[in-house]
Amino acid sequence: MGVRSFHDEQARNKRDSLLLLIVVGVVLFALILSISYLWDPASVYIMVPLAALITAGYTWGNYMFGDRIILSYMKARPAEGPQFTYLHNTVEGLAIAAGIPKPKVYVVPSEELNAFATGRDPEHASIAVTTGLLRRLDRLELEGVVAHEISHIANRDVQFMTLVAVLVGLAGILSNWILRSYWWGGSRRDRDERGNLGLILVVVGMVLAVVAPLVTRLVQMAVSRRREFLADAYAAELTRYPDGLADALEKMAALNRGNMKVSETVSHLFISDPNRSPLDALFSTHPPIEERIKRLREM
Amino acid sequence: MNGWLLGLAAVVVVVVWLFVSYYNRIRVLENRVEEAWAQIDVQLQKRYDLVPNLVETVKGYASHEREIFEKVSEARSRLLEGSRQSRVAADAELSQVLGRLLALAEAYPELKASENFKLLQEQLEGIESKIAYARQYYNQAVLDYNNLITTIPGAWFAGGRKKKEFLEIPDEARTAPRVEF
Repeated sequence: MGVRSFHDEQARNKRDSLLLLIVVGVVLFALILSISYLWDPASVYIMVPLAALITAGYTWGNYMFGDRIILSYMKARPAEGPQFTYLHNTVEGLAIAAGIPKPKVYVVPSEELNAFATGRDPEHASIAVTTGLLRRLDRLELEGVVAHEISHIANRDVQFMTLVAVLVGLAGILSNWILRSYWWGGSRRDRDERGNLGLILVVVGMVLAVVAPLVTRLVQMAVSRRREFLADAYAAELTRYPDGLADALEKMAALNRGNMKVSETVSHLFISDPNRSPLDALFSTHPPIEERIKRLREM
Repeated sequence: MNGWLLGLAAVVVVVVWLFVSYYNRIRVLENRVEEAWAQIDVQLQKRYDLVPNLVETVKGYASHEREIFEKVSEARSRLLEGSRQSRVAADAELSQVLGRLLALAEAYPELKASENFKLLQEQLEGIESKIAYARQYYNQAVLDYNNLITTIPGAWFAGGRKKKEFLEIPDEARTAPRVEF
């Protein structure tokens, strides 16, 4: 357990991240091609290398800058100043306990009690907490929450979850785009001119456009539930005090209204679902909060 | 004849592979223990540097509490000397006397209200918990290392390496100091 128990998760997450990048790369490549075909069949020859370039650039950019995109989207500010010494100390202590470098620390202005972690690996990771969380939690509770986020980082959950966040966003944009181009493309040209290949591409594009957001959503839901339970368990192991996190989750259940109004594409990053009251479990990317509290109390 | 040679070669390959992988694994864990100690060392050093600031601040308000200042500086002086075990023990002792020093502030409202004092207090408490966490990581690393070199097959490749010792804090320092008002 302890130091070594992270390793299986790390390997799994590295594999999942790579798989996700490859699958999304292929899908993106196919999408760009079908869009260009719909627009003008002759452009396909130019679009093949161009699509490959765009795909490679896009996936690389997400891998490198996904964390910054998310932090700035959340309006997170670096935690600077003496009032945050306490937060920095807590983060540094738990990073030491998990054997990872100290992550960067951010604060999100919000009255809700919430926190998330992001980054591509433990060397480039960030933790963000809301100002409401800082104000309402005592030291032991804050340690529990920070330990949960540190576990996500040490497990390399954040790598995978950050990728999912940016790519889920992409699926939404692309499906919108392809449906629109189909509409305009179809009205402009006679469809018979394109032949069988064209028809296949059109169908593939349509299916992708409809299915991609659904699939990414399902992946998001399935993976984050398991990851949340695991991170809770590792957090308890790091602090040696499961009740700290359990108390914090209870406060979140009691005080959070689920009105942070963040995009669904990043909601799975948070310790508690930012868009719903924790009591409303339907369609949630998070396991029911009572279930998490119960498991922690039993440790 | 060929079958024998092939079998022999396969055995040699497996043995070499086992040796290399266990040798590396032992080395990795050995390095992890050293890295874990480095973390503790950094925090002890920080604490060593920070304590005089706190003492000076408190002296400004409560200069006559001489006995406790001496105890603090005595425990501090042992922070950077001796074995790992004794340095950690000195640190635990220092935590205790510092607890008493901080409790003094209750009797001096001006001291308690001073921003400088509050910041120093937060920094010291932060270092204290960081040392506790670093010790936890160190002991976990030692446990992993000891498990590897004392169980088969790791023990075959340990080459006479000895088990490493856990860092324990003395019993009397384990309980937080009671403060009475």
